[in-house]
Amino acid sequence: MREVSRDRIKAFITLLPSVVLIGVFVYGFIGNTVWISMTDWRGGAALSENPVKNFIGMQNYVELFSGFLDGRFRQDLVNAVYYSVLLLVGAVGIGMFIAILLDRKPRGEDFLRTVFLYPMSLSFIVTGTIWRWLLAPQGGVNLLPTYLGGKALDFQWLSSMKTVLLFDWQNLFPILLYLAAFVLILLGLGKLRRDPSRAFKHYLVPGVVLGAVVWLFGDLLPRALFMEEEHGFNLATLGIILATIWQYSGYTMALYLAGFNGISQDLMDAARLDGASDFDYYMHVAIPMLKPITISAVIILSHISLKMFDLIFAMTGPDNAATGHPALDMYLTTFRANDFAKGAAIAIVLFLVAGTFIIPYLVTSYRQRRNAR
Amino acid sequence: MARVELVNVSKRYGDVIIVPGADLEIKDNEFIVFVGPSGCGKSTILRMIAGLEPISGGEIHIGDRVVNNVSPKSRNVAMVFQNYALYPHMTVRDNMGFSLKMAKRSKSEIDEAVNRAAEVLELGQLLDRKPSELSGGQRQRVAMGRAIVRQPDVFLFDEPLSNLDAQLRTQMRRELKKLHMKLATTTIYVTHDQIEAMTLASRIVILKDGEIQQVGTPVEVFEKPANVFVAQFIGNPPMNILEGIFETSGGSPVVRAGGSVFPVPEGRVPDLAGGAPVLVGLRPDSIKMGENVERLPKEWWCRGEVVVSEILGGQSLLEIVVDDNELIAEVEGRIEAQPGETVPIGFEFDRMVLFDPETTKAIS
Repeated sequence: MREVSRDRIKAFITLLPSVVLIGVFVYGFIGNTVWISMTDWRGGAALSENPVKNFIGMQNYVELFSGFLDGRFRQDLVNAVYYSVLLLVGAVGIGMFIAILLDRKPRGEDFLRTVFLYPMSLSFIVTGTIWRWLLAPQGGVNLLPTYLGGKALDFQWLSSMKTVLLFDWQNLFPILLYLAAFVLILLGLGKLRRDPSRAFKHYLVPGVVLGAVVWLFGDLLPRALFMEEEHGFNLATLGIILATIWQYSGYTMALYLAGFNGISQDLMDAARLDGASDFDYYMHVAIPMLKPITISAVIILSHISLKMFDLIFAMTGPDNAATGHPALDMYLTTFRANDFAKGAAIAIVLFLVAGTFIIPYLVTSYRQRRNAR
Repeated sequence: MARVELVNVSKRYGDVIIVPGADLEIKDNEFIVFVGPSGCGKSTILRMIAGLEPISGGEIHIGDRVVNNVSPKSRNVAMVFQNYALYPHMTVRDNMGFSLKMAKRSKSEIDEAVNRAAEVLELGQLLDRKPSELSGGQRQRVAMGRAIVRQPDVFLFDEPLSNLDAQLRTQMRRELKKLHMKLATTTIYVTHDQIEAMTLASRIVILKDGEIQQVGTPVEVFEKPANVFVAQFIGNPPMNILEGIFETSGGSPVVRAGGSVFPVPEGRVPDLAGGAPVLVGLRPDSIKMGENVERLPKEWWCRGEVVVSEILGGQSLLEIVVDDNELIAEVEGRIEAQPGETVPIGFEFDRMVLFDPETTKAIS
């Protein structure tokens, strides 16, 4: 008993410095940011020696999501969503595709692997500079068709003013609820084969009911904004998405390639004898087996895309509203507008969104580890 | 169900020859065991039959077809791997039904086939588990289930029992034998364990350096090994091999080895001139001691000095010296002889095998 408690004391003393440091510099500062986001620390006197900070509750958040002046933040949030989704689809898809090609062991596989992984080693500023140049309206990518005898493209990769998939922010609540219903129905269809009764009870029926209720009574839901405000997918962000995919698909390729190499040759042989074509093998055996890798890739890429700052800064600058991002908006609001309180609120929103990705991942991996014991 | 024929099948990797050229005919429903030391090419030949390894020359027939250019999936063979090669993310049911799913069979048809196979292998309760939730023996059974679900023409087994512990291995061996009797499907089984080979095979194929040394029933390869390698590879402890000279002087043919003179019984007399060198092969269990000596003809008796004796329960293993020749004897009963003691022993000379010392082949 005394041995155990002495061990515990030693462990406690050893851990204490890092616990204190992390407590102060990570969690303490998060707490401080939360506090600031609930004050009115802003305006001309914000930089004075003893600024006035009055507690104003959630007002900053309410303004961000429904204030007259904060349309920029809402557009940035929409940009971040599209940016994350397209980056995930692009980088995971292309990375997986290249990994499959390299898994076929072509000649020069080692060399090609290095080539594809290389963009990872560049800093975002360098990537941004290179791609800004490649995506210039009268050069680079737009000139590619001329090498094949075609006409040069005139797409404005970084400054297009076109927006597609528009929706009215006023209808935010019904849209979110439709999305939830859609996800429930998708999950239900996925689980239909293994456990039909559970799929119906927990996913399909609630999904359909939710969708129907919103469709019938959606008008009764409160409006998110007192005026019309349309947001959508700004085509000007395509160039930035392209550059990020270029930089990160090599990384997902490396993740998948390591996973594919870890699958035993016997398993591949067994699948071939079972009548699986190469496509079937990857579709039904290899890729499902690498689900943990897919999840890690999604988590890593989504938090990168949510925190993206320098690449956008290098490619279009902080002032280009069409390619804005909450992280840039946070910087501008805090350090240009001297609105420390609202900047802190944006930071906390980003923090919570990243949390919704990472916390479920941590919980499941912790559970898996506990079950494995 | 099909016969399998290999015609001068060879395998090379660049300049390295793995299999110089193998000829073999496997009859319908036969249980053939490939046995040999590591690196003898037995797994390579199996993989070539499966189509997982391209062949460098020759022809492989399965049924009435030449399958040289037929893809593995179209050969209608099923294989069980040493490490089971189960799909870890699928349930037992999905593992077993995978081949039928790939063949685009209907769901009800797949369920029926899987249930039938699960019944044969007593896997009913495990169908909804994942491989990680199964024991080694259960995984082995699932791997077998996956093979029988598709009713292949040929079963291929690549050392399927070597990852199991000794007791389970014996049990699974019996089940395999029963399964083969029940399904009556041509089976090719690779192992380095000669006990598996002896107990399971209708015929054994013994390989060394990619070359087939002998093909025969378990008793044939044990009693009439084609060469010294087979004689020493099959049987534990291995056959005693002594250097000697064949002589016909004095009327009855004999072999002189060391100080001993072994009579060569009728039917074993080689077609050799007197004075020819030979190797004499004597199985450890052809040496008799105690009361069993008296059942042998008198001229097959002699005396030997015990060097070491080990009692293995029902039998004893002895190292004895007979006229400067060191021999291993495996005799029935518990022989409690002291080292240095001289005891009467007898040889079953009618089981003697003579080999040519140059070619190491058996002399008929």
